[in-house]
Amino acid sequence: MTRITIERAEKAQQYQDLLQQHGAPLLLLDCAQLVKQYEDLSSALPGVELFYAIKSLPHAAVIQTLKMLGSGFDIATTGEIEMLREEGVNPRHTLHTHPIKRDRDIRDALRYGCTTFVVDNIWEMEKFVEYRHRVGLLLRVSFPNANTRIDLSRKFGCAENEVMLLIQKAQSLGLHVKGLSFHAGSQCPDARNHVRAIQRCARLIEEVYETTGKLLSVLDIGGGFPARYMQSVEDIHSFCAPIREELRKLPDHVRVIAEPGRFLSAPTMKAVSTVMGKAKRGDSTWYYLDDGVYGSYSGQIFDHVEYPLSIFSDLEETERAVLSGPTCDSIDVIAEGVEIPPLSIGDIVVGHQMGAYTAASSTHFNLFDKAQIVAINELPQVTDENVVFLDQPLQSAEADFNQQHTL
Amino acid sequence: MKTFTETLYDAYGQEFAVDKIYFENKTAHQHLIIFENANFGRVMALDGIVQTTEADEFIYHEMLTHVPLMAHGAARRVLIIGGGDGGILREVCKHSSVEQITQVEIDAQVIEMCKEYLPRHSAGAYDDPRVNIVVDDAANFVRECGEQFDLIISDSTDPIGPGDVLFTSDFYQNCKRCLKEGGVLVAQNGVAFMQLDEVTTTARRMQKLFTDQSFYSAAVPTYIGGIMTFAWATDNSALRCANVDKIAERFSRADIKCRYYNPAIHVASFALPQYIIDALNEVCQS
Repeated sequence: MTRITIERAEKAQQYQDLLQQHGAPLLLLDCAQLVKQYEDLSSALPGVELFYAIKSLPHAAVIQTLKMLGSGFDIATTGEIEMLREEGVNPRHTLHTHPIKRDRDIRDALRYGCTTFVVDNIWEMEKFVEYRHRVGLLLRVSFPNANTRIDLSRKFGCAENEVMLLIQKAQSLGLHVKGLSFHAGSQCPDARNHVRAIQRCARLIEEVYETTGKLLSVLDIGGGFPARYMQSVEDIHSFCAPIREELRKLPDHVRVIAEPGRFLSAPTMKAVSTVMGKAKRGDSTWYYLDDGVYGSYSGQIFDHVEYPLSIFSDLEETERAVLSGPTCDSIDVIAEGVEIPPLSIGDIVVGHQMGAYTAASSTHFNLFDKAQIVAINELPQVTDENVVFLDQPLQSAEADFNQQHTL
Repeated sequence: MKTFTETLYDAYGQEFAVDKIYFENKTAHQHLIIFENANFGRVMALDGIVQTTEADEFIYHEMLTHVPLMAHGAARRVLIIGGGDGGILREVCKHSSVEQITQVEIDAQVIEMCKEYLPRHSAGAYDDPRVNIVVDDAANFVRECGEQFDLIISDSTDPIGPGDVLFTSDFYQNCKRCLKEGGVLVAQNGVAFMQLDEVTTTARRMQKLFTDQSFYSAAVPTYIGGIMTFAWATDNSALRCANVDKIAERFSRADIKCRYYNPAIHVASFALPQYIIDALNEVCQS
């Protein structure tokens, strides 16, 4: 798949209008796409309660949309808690999944009303002794994840053979471990990791009950559901087929939850950047955009992702080009060695699938402003000055676009 | 129908039908709400935990006030820690023998809000000429206070949250310094069946400072999970042992009307269930 799609020049107009209204660079957040992602995953995993991992894209419009759909939320920090509180999320629908917490993090979560926490070691368990009557714990287990792009099993999670000991320790401390959790990795190519982990957790749940009499009633299957970037991925319904199959075998008393982040948020945002300047260097034309790897494209560094790009031109000719970010650092390059029609200063470059781990990890390096997030297609209950209402997804809405934007 | 679900415990809780929201203040740091419920009248909750309700507040406020006042018998100067809803103040003001009442509340807005939305709690007590309201952090106030009191009543929030400093050894130590000889410190101390650790932690801290330390109790319906304990600390160990006739005589002299408190309840409230006695014995031995 080529990195850059060349679209007709007139298609840039809708983005130009938005830039005129809001300034550049922008991130366009399409809540209708988010609704679709949530519904697709819900139907791919029937009976599984979804807790959106807000770390992937912590934004009010995302939280409002998912809240209205009945989603829960996976939180990791007090900052995330504050955002959920502002958005009026019922704390009963949240779980705190950071395996390592300070005492004040625990207290902040309890004050918010979140009472479910993840632990993976004895020192972390001891932190909960003081709050043992108020909390329910999930024990995070690590299974080696061979086939995943980002392995999450190394940094967190206890070994399988520690589970029994930790449960017994928890019992002796008066702590309530209510279930197990695991992470199969991020952006998994297939569900083999999930299936294997579910099988092992099922066996652990059984062994724990037989050995200690402790009923583990929650299984958190984490995330890892893939989004499409440069490579195509299996559609979510068939990706989840073996997971559904495996979950059917679990005992009735086990409630299954998941923590999707990327799958929900990645397709919901596009980056709209403009060419600030250009230069001929060697055999390439360098285009300096107003957003780069220190900004919305930070996922190229931290998340190891290359995003599909669009430019808008009716010219036949192409030339070798580099698309670079605005900062002084030479690492700040979005794409190089690409063959594209010549661009002018002010032209638009759009990055697709840029919802997850983009704005979330962008920096203020050089004190460049971060791209402003503009939400479109929000569900009707929400009102916000910053909202642009559209009836249809952006791609097919060109005809109505100008009319609707005379706010 | 709107509901309010308390988020105190992960595996157990109570839920209220919300007929009307009178006041809601939601910031990034805390969430305060006052609403109407058919069974309990106006309910105030802070950070998802019920603080007080119009229907059952009398049990809590009468017990936290009249037990130490009647046991002491001659308290003239009273310090109230927290208690912004005015319920404790209302009960203290019933005693004509009390000459001066100082109340330290960290947030002046709480008092104003409660006067407006929970007016039956203070019932005009804030206008009593004996009352002096200090807006300050109570931990700070007792650290720097030069005055002494016959009775200190700590009506704080939960130890997780803004009230946490009011459960520390430092705070108890400073309270002791602010007590006249033979004075009494009482403090809200949680529901023992659900959070026995709160009882043992307080006992451990207070027993180092006072010659007589124990707890008394009352069941307050909306503090779910059984009896609520009140910490009791003084250097006059005779106060806790006053017999029912003596209390009855003082109560009759005070000439006040109560709905929960009476001399028999007073004496009986110091009797503790065995599981609490066992836990306290462990503290003594350690």
